[in-house]
Amino acid sequence: MSFTHLHVSSAFSARYGVSWPDELVRAAAAAGADALACTDRDGLYGIPKHFKACLRHGIDPVVGVDLAVLGPGAGRVVVLARGNDGGAGYTALCRLVSAAHAGTTSGGRGASRPVGVTPGELARWAAGPVGDAGADRAGGAQDPRAGAALTVLLGPQSDVGQACLRRGYGQARQLLERWRAVLPPGALAVEAVTHVNRPGARLSTAHAVRMVRAARDCGVPAVLGNAVRYAEPDGAATADVLDAARALSTLEALDDLQPNGQGWLKEPAQMHRLAGEVAREAGGGAGLAAELLAETARLADHCRMDPVGDAGWGIPVVPEARVIGITGDPARELAARCEAGITRLFPDGGDTRLRGRLATELDTIASLGFCSYFLTVAEVSSMIAAMGVRAAARGSGASSLVNYLLGVSHVNPLAHDLLFERFLSLDRSTLPDIDIDVESAERHAVYRRIFERFGRERVTLMSMQNGYRARGAVRDAGLVLGFENAEIDDIAKQLWRFSASGFRAALAEKPELRGFAERVGSERQLDLLVDLTERLDRLPRHISMHPCGVILGDSGLLDRTPVQPSGLGLPMSQFDKHDMDPMGMLKLDVLGVRMQSAMSFALREVVRIHGSGDAVAAAGRHPLGTDGSLPPFLHGDGRIDLERVPLDDEPTFELIRSTHTLGCFQIESPGQRELIGKLAPREFNDLIIDISLFRPGPMKSNMVKPYLENRHGFARERYPHPDLVPALAETHGVTVFHEQVLRTFATMTGCSLAKADVLRRLLGSETQEPAVEAFFRSHATARGYPLAVVDEVWETLKAFGSFGFCKAHGAAFAVPTYQSAWLKTHHPEAFLAGLWEHDPGMYPKRLLVAEARRMGIPILPLDINRSCAEYRVERVDAGKDGPPGGRLGIRLSLSGIYGMSATEVRRTVAGQPYASLADVRDRAGLTRSSLERLAALGAFDELQRRSGPGNRSDLVRHLREAAARRPGVRRRQLPGQLALPLPDLELSALRALEPAPTAEETVRTELDLMALDVSGHLMDSHAPLLAELGTTPAAELLGLRNGTEVLVAGVRVATQTPPMRGGRRVVFISLDDGTGCVDCTFFHDAQENSGPLLFATRLLLVHGITRRTGPRGISLQALQAWDLSVRDALPGPGHLADPGRARPQPPPGRAAAAGVPAPVGTGHPRARTADGTPGALRGAALAVRMEAEGLDNRLPAGR
Amino acid sequence: MGLFTRSIDVDCTTSGLPLRLRWEGREYLVAAEPLRWFERRKWWAEELRAERGRGPGLVDHEMWRIQARLAGRGPLRTFDLSRHAETGRWRLVMIHDALKESA
Repeated sequence: MSFTHLHVSSAFSARYGVSWPDELVRAAAAAGADALACTDRDGLYGIPKHFKACLRHGIDPVVGVDLAVLGPGAGRVVVLARGNDGGAGYTALCRLVSAAHAGTTSGGRGASRPVGVTPGELARWAAGPVGDAGADRAGGAQDPRAGAALTVLLGPQSDVGQACLRRGYGQARQLLERWRAVLPPGALAVEAVTHVNRPGARLSTAHAVRMVRAARDCGVPAVLGNAVRYAEPDGAATADVLDAARALSTLEALDDLQPNGQGWLKEPAQMHRLAGEVAREAGGGAGLAAELLAETARLADHCRMDPVGDAGWGIPVVPEARVIGITGDPARELAARCEAGITRLFPDGGDTRLRGRLATELDTIASLGFCSYFLTVAEVSSMIAAMGVRAAARGSGASSLVNYLLGVSHVNPLAHDLLFERFLSLDRSTLPDIDIDVESAERHAVYRRIFERFGRERVTLMSMQNGYRARGAVRDAGLVLGFENAEIDDIAKQLWRFSASGFRAALAEKPELRGFAERVGSERQLDLLVDLTERLDRLPRHISMHPCGVILGDSGLLDRTPVQPSGLGLPMSQFDKHDMDPMGMLKLDVLGVRMQSAMSFALREVVRIHGSGDAVAAAGRHPLGTDGSLPPFLHGDGRIDLERVPLDDEPTFELIRSTHTLGCFQIESPGQRELIGKLAPREFNDLIIDISLFRPGPMKSNMVKPYLENRHGFARERYPHPDLVPALAETHGVTVFHEQVLRTFATMTGCSLAKADVLRRLLGSETQEPAVEAFFRSHATARGYPLAVVDEVWETLKAFGSFGFCKAHGAAFAVPTYQSAWLKTHHPEAFLAGLWEHDPGMYPKRLLVAEARRMGIPILPLDINRSCAEYRVERVDAGKDGPPGGRLGIRLSLSGIYGMSATEVRRTVAGQPYASLADVRDRAGLTRSSLERLAALGAFDELQRRSGPGNRSDLVRHLREAAARRPGVRRRQLPGQLALPLPDLELSALRALEPAPTAEETVRTELDLMALDVSGHLMDSHAPLLAELGTTPAAELLGLRNGTEVLVAGVRVATQTPPMRGGRRVVFISLDDGTGCVDCTFFHDAQENSGPLLFATRLLLVHGITRRTGPRGISLQALQAWDLSVRDALPGPGHLADPGRARPQPPPGRAAAAGVPAPVGTGHPRARTADGTPGALRGAALAVRMEAEGLDNRLPAGR
Repeated sequence: MGLFTRSIDVDCTTSGLPLRLRWEGREYLVAAEPLRWFERRKWWAEELRAERGRGPGLVDHEMWRIQARLAGRGPLRTFDLSRHAETGRWRLVMIHDALKESA
């Protein structure tokens, strides 16, 4: 007995389907089916996953879509593609789905028109793609089989199905006849569905019977389906929740919930029984049942698809070489361009090592047939450069010398020992990933340019699926159950970084959920809320444009993927990043990086403010040549070529070691600042290592501590075998990089690096790893390595191999890291202006204002005549004691003001300078409220100072009164009319009545209108309270001994829960108190003591113990926290002497005598020891020694 | 017409079709082909939990409409019964008015 389901929605029917393609295929295969359809709503979103699942479970995929028909009451139909026809059916379906989305707006917003197709479009594509100009590939494949390319299934939701439900028998037949007249022959079938609902109702057996009868009367084949939404009956409740969430309704109020829970993937026996019930009720007996089932099987056979032959599964496709202007052999062209790169980058012609490497790479690339791909990437890269946009390759692409020579990457792989095999080898045939970072502000322009360059038929953006995460899931579960918004908000706020599926488990262990957990079980519906939240976990909600993926193909790309409009207006594929490789699609990641924009902005500011290379060299203290010549990276007009800045600038490394790295790429987070303090980088390679260590794998597996101990000479470097020294020396014997794993495999087994990378990729796989271990052990033993060495190395490979970091990634990241630190060191004003303008980091802008204050950089207030649409570096007179030429400050921009439109900003800037308030009023075209806000922020202070009495408050009052006198009148100067050079009568007549605003009021206004506290710090107003409590300012912590108990207070600027060893969560909260930033680490007990304050409170008081993290770094191990704004709950003065206060718990395993709290990220000191002494003892000895030395880790370089 | 939710004994054929009902000490014989459907439940109001993996029976329950005669001879009466998915136990939901039903 067999049955093929032809109408199945997977989870990729967003907010509709419940089960993943793999679950559905597994269930179908287990029930004995040899084919299964996937017919998601509105798209082919789930098809690549469906292919994959079908290939895995050995059944045939059937591919279709569930689409709305445009027009009132036109309903929905399922459209199935014919299979095994050289791709004609699949192409027709892709084109049909794209047509359904053409002219819609992304996400249905603004609703230009709904997603759907006309019967005419269905007819056009059902006839097949032949004749369509764009479809060469499928057009070439002639229809080898009879029947239409697409089959339209009219089911219960179609117009025919709805007429049947209303007992409109005549109408149903009429509609059916009309469909038959429109569609090509053989393209139509009726789909009878019974969910065995209450007799006569929607999806009842009677409903199905009427449809079968209508089909028979008109001579249209009828098939049986079950309109499946979930693999098992259990999914029905989830489908209910999705129905209600989709309609933004409660379950109680929704009137078109699915009628019951029968929409599951029923087994063949059950479907045969339903066929029998339908036939019996229709009066047709066993013959009719058999006919229904036979038609279903016949249609299924017609639609069985071959993923490879029909959809190009696994066959990489790149743009035709002629598109990038290459007519000859692409391999020869690639080699020629690499030669040109050598001439440019290695004037001496390159040594034999470089030549050998280049030959290997070119051979590999040519053998894999990827020459056009590399040329394509090079083309994109040089196109971006020609646009004047900063760009840098990231990822394993940096491992390739070819990429370096083509100008795609800026890292010389030979200089950093990066292995090409990690990127590409003959042992793998997947398309390599080359990622290009560009200035975020220019990203969309770059996309548009790529579309223009390669043609709209070859390019589309990639999409991404946005699934339910904990917060969204609890909100929707709350919505459908009818919870109050505010109540759900309170719960959602406490959900922090765990998947919705673990909600109930999280309730048991997370302190911030304690309050909620106590209510569950006692309050009705809270248990349901938890269950429904878990049910929604990960289910797709909608698709959106992927932040960086651009798909490049040949002219047949749109025959292979359906596209729909993205938020950007450009088309995006319905496939996501997981589908690229299997669908043979070439994806280029063009990622917008705000830091690149910030740096680009800073470089422009440097040129603008200094104007010449000499002035830049003086201001940035850049070393001149002995003959007074400018350094090579600096042009005469003041332009700096960041890519040519030497990577060994000592002042830059000093800044990095100081841990004052706020604003620097990759190294500004609290965890990174702590690590960088401990690691104390001296050279570029240290930065690569730092970035590579600050990853989940190394943090969890305790690689950091042994590395640091070895680096600083506290422990002797140790290698399992002398043969491994070359591979592991750069990280003092600790395996950090993928490249080291590759070399270890190659050294000990004698295998090739390419093979080693294949082995590495299998590490961590439950099924494959044993084979890798067997291979490693037998070959290493055969090569004479002792068992103990083999054992030890295998343990390391097993532990680190699967999640270590690719050094090329680290190297690519380290470039902008270094460049940003270099700019912060040499041109801090321009750099900060760039940061404020483009906001690249993790912190709120106000923290960077505090950073400017700490660095002594003047922040210049808003000024109607000086502020622009951007933050600007400005020369300030520093008085007679200041440096000649003045100091540099940063002028606030008009753009960040609440309520002021971009148009107002543009007009205001265009009208500068203004002679008087009346002049502003006349020419700037500001609304009354913007005028008042500018006055309150002091933008007219300068005008006012020139003209007369009064202060900001007087002016604000004056503007209000004036507005009241002349409602709605706004005089605008006519073009060409000149302002009379009169004194500012309006301002000089101002009555000085109001007291000047207090500092606190000014700060409040700034925060309200700009979200920045510029003139003072937000915490200043709490000074009396803090003095009473006896808190320590952040700036003074560095002077304290390690282990000093203190109170600190400040504004939360960041919260992080980085990955930690052993899976125990650690929460980092960074506070800014105006003197600097305090990083507070909350371990388990402190989290218990702080509960709901952890994630929801803005102003915090924290009691803790100082922990020195490096020569210049200090942080706080928190013991307890309070909400500073809840005065009653705060501890009294003298808390630090209170015997009842929280005390640190010495971590288990560490000798208590040392009294040092465990450093973050290192956990237990069970370091692998150099000389075999027990780990705990050595750990204690080490702790004592580190304590004695004040943790000044900087020993002379001992390498 | 009356509304009930009381246990009722039902004897079935081997293929699961009801044959006989025993209710209030009397036996009714099924007199016409029974109708079966799945009726929705307002599970969110009736249940305290809806955890994943709970299986069938949360969102709907199986209903049977059975026409039967007392001892095979009395007037035709229509019973709505529900069958519990897991336990297979039957409950009587409703007896329809005989007159209305025949109309």
